[in-house]
Amino acid sequence: MRVTANTFPNALLDQLSSLSQRQNKLQNQAATGQLVTLPEDDPVAMRRVLDMQAENSAVGQYARNIERHQELAAATYDSIKSLKSISDKAGEIAIAAGDLSAPSLPIYAKQVTELIKQAVQIANTKNRGDYLFSGTNSNLPPYVLTTDVNGVVTGVTYQGNTTEAESEIASGITISAQVPGENNSGTGARGLLADDRVGADFLNHLIDLQNHLLSGDVTSIENNDRAALQRDEDNLLYHVGQNGAIQSRLESSLSLSNQRMDSLEKMVSKEADADLTQTIVRLNQTQTAYQAALKSAGRILGSSLLDYMQ
Amino acid sequence: MLGLFGTLSMANRSLQTQRNGTEVAGHNLANVNTPGYSRQRVAIETSITIPSDIGPQGTGADAVAIVQLRDKLLDKHIVSETSVRSAYEGRQRALEFAQAALGQAIDRQANGAEGSAAASGVGGQHGIAEDLSALFASFQSLSTNPTSSAERQVLVIKAQNLATQFNQVASRFDDLRGTLNESVSSDVDQANIALSDIAKLNDQIITAELGTDAKANDLRDVRQKRIEDLAKLVHIDTVENSNGGVDISIDGSQLVSGRNVLDTLEAYDAGGGQYLVRTLAGGTTLTLTGGTIQGTIDARDNDLVQIRSDIDNLATRLITSVNAVHANGYGLGGTTGEAFFTGTNASDIGFNQNLADDPSRIQASGVSGSVGDNTVVLQLAQLADAKQAGLGNQTFLENYGQTVSKLGQYLNGLNTQLGNQDIVEQMLLRQRDSVSGVSLDEEMTDLVKFQRAFEASARLITTVDEMLQTVVNLKR
Repeated sequence: MRVTANTFPNALLDQLSSLSQRQNKLQNQAATGQLVTLPEDDPVAMRRVLDMQAENSAVGQYARNIERHQELAAATYDSIKSLKSISDKAGEIAIAAGDLSAPSLPIYAKQVTELIKQAVQIANTKNRGDYLFSGTNSNLPPYVLTTDVNGVVTGVTYQGNTTEAESEIASGITISAQVPGENNSGTGARGLLADDRVGADFLNHLIDLQNHLLSGDVTSIENNDRAALQRDEDNLLYHVGQNGAIQSRLESSLSLSNQRMDSLEKMVSKEADADLTQTIVRLNQTQTAYQAALKSAGRILGSSLLDYMQ
Repeated sequence: MLGLFGTLSMANRSLQTQRNGTEVAGHNLANVNTPGYSRQRVAIETSITIPSDIGPQGTGADAVAIVQLRDKLLDKHIVSETSVRSAYEGRQRALEFAQAALGQAIDRQANGAEGSAAASGVGGQHGIAEDLSALFASFQSLSTNPTSSAERQVLVIKAQNLATQFNQVASRFDDLRGTLNESVSSDVDQANIALSDIAKLNDQIITAELGTDAKANDLRDVRQKRIEDLAKLVHIDTVENSNGGVDISIDGSQLVSGRNVLDTLEAYDAGGGQYLVRTLAGGTTLTLTGGTIQGTIDARDNDLVQIRSDIDNLATRLITSVNAVHANGYGLGGTTGEAFFTGTNASDIGFNQNLADDPSRIQASGVSGSVGDNTVVLQLAQLADAKQAGLGNQTFLENYGQTVSKLGQYLNGLNTQLGNQDIVEQMLLRQRDSVSGVSLDEEMTDLVKFQRAFEASARLITTVDEMLQTVVNLKR
């Protein structure tokens, strides 16, 4: 092939242009650590990365949902624990009632009244502005207490409902750490303080105990109230166990979510990240080729027949 | 026999011939870097022989022509390949604009493992994909705390961000269509100038070559350059006539015939801002098969329309799906039946201003009066994983990923094709350079050769002069 004056410069321009493009691409890869940045770099990898990042974002949100459930479950547990201690005290009074003298009974009745008020106060606990035990009527306090002029509790009304707000902890898997205060519907989650499936009705049973103490009806306390309060105690214990189970499930779900995020991160890295060692080696090779092209061209372009003519 | 005067005359012609050779070499040297220039050679032939007693006797040499070294077949190939390459380039440029308009990139350093900003506010990903994910994450968050005003406010911002992102992408694509139309118009103007230039050059070439065998080499070079300029814009068919003129046709419509421009091109709006090309006088719509104009039209009417329609379809499905669920819910104050998104496509999607003004109106609850109920917002959150029949049984994010990937594939394929075309064109240009390019070494050698021959011819004159002197001195 005949080589002309422009063959070298043109070929050099082509070579330098393609070497520059390569250097630019490799430098970008080295600086960003990414093999794929734009859709045109690798459309298939881009698609996979977008899908995985979407999943990663969803799993991250599930983890945040789980943390929110955990917070709710912890708050619920604190309330159950306090209610349990009230139940214990009430149980002690019910057991001791038979041995008490008649004049001391109203004093214990007063104590039970305070226990009822304390229990209602706990049942009306709020978390982030929502009542914990109102079901989905979370803007309403679950219990409203009515007392007579002497401060004796005459009744409690449940304002909540039996519905729990479930939210996702994984795709398609919903859970609720909420517990309704009462559920006498016969279905759904068991009520914390009252559930007719197990004969639990803590506040009303406390009211009964209060009334029986006031009236000195020790027989009813021994025959009915003790057993009723025991059912309430059992119900609270059931909820302690249930809460523990939910917390444990949330913990393991959180761990699964974190594992999934780790593995997604690895997979995204595999698709999108550049092998820095390989990139730097290639960049060096390209730079060497670029310098070699410049140097050799400099020598060739600088000399012609003119150098040897006088 | 030539005799002394005949020899003197021969030496004189030889001087002229060698001088011609030097001039042509000088012309080549002067044009070593002129684009489109093809080297020239002086054609030297032995002069006529005359009979003599000792047989036919030579009378020296004459420069009979200045020949241009050009391979017409190569030229035709280059014109054709130039059109192919330019079409790719036109399409590539449009798709690169589209890639920028979509604004979807991966930035792994700015985004942490959970897709949250690890270096917030510095770079990062801000495409539709991230905004879609953020919207569904906000639905999820609200589902865990349906009465929270903070979560509702976050949802408002995320929904507004997504709507704005859709609007911006749609607007960029619309602007891009306008830019591409302007590019078609501008290219058509350039093509018309090239057509006019070619006709003028035809005129000059025909006039210069009229009644002679000599070729108007330099004018032909310039014309070839203009033909290649035109081929970059639009695929053309060329026919060279016996008088030296070149006729130009596009898609069967003859536009240049010898010295005359028969018709020119016109970019016209075929409806809906779709600029196409037709002949101005004839009104014939042209189906172009190469050149930047065709590449631009191709990208605009096929690739970009497809991407734009995918984005619109995604926005439409999102609006209808989210609104259908949201309408059944109840706000904290018991309001119901409100749309979440307004609009019908990517251009006009917006977040319902009523909800933005009062986020408590976001209808998260599925039961009137139960503010803690989250069934509706949970359904909205679960739309993220729902396969949509109108999106080819893909989720919103999968569908968007496919659109991004589709654009990437168009561009990636095109980059490869352009790379291959580069190789073809470089090979052809090298071949042409090998035939027509000026070699400094050759020209310098020629200069020396002609200079020496010139010196020798001059010496012949001196010698004959001395001989004549001798003859004249015989008389004394």
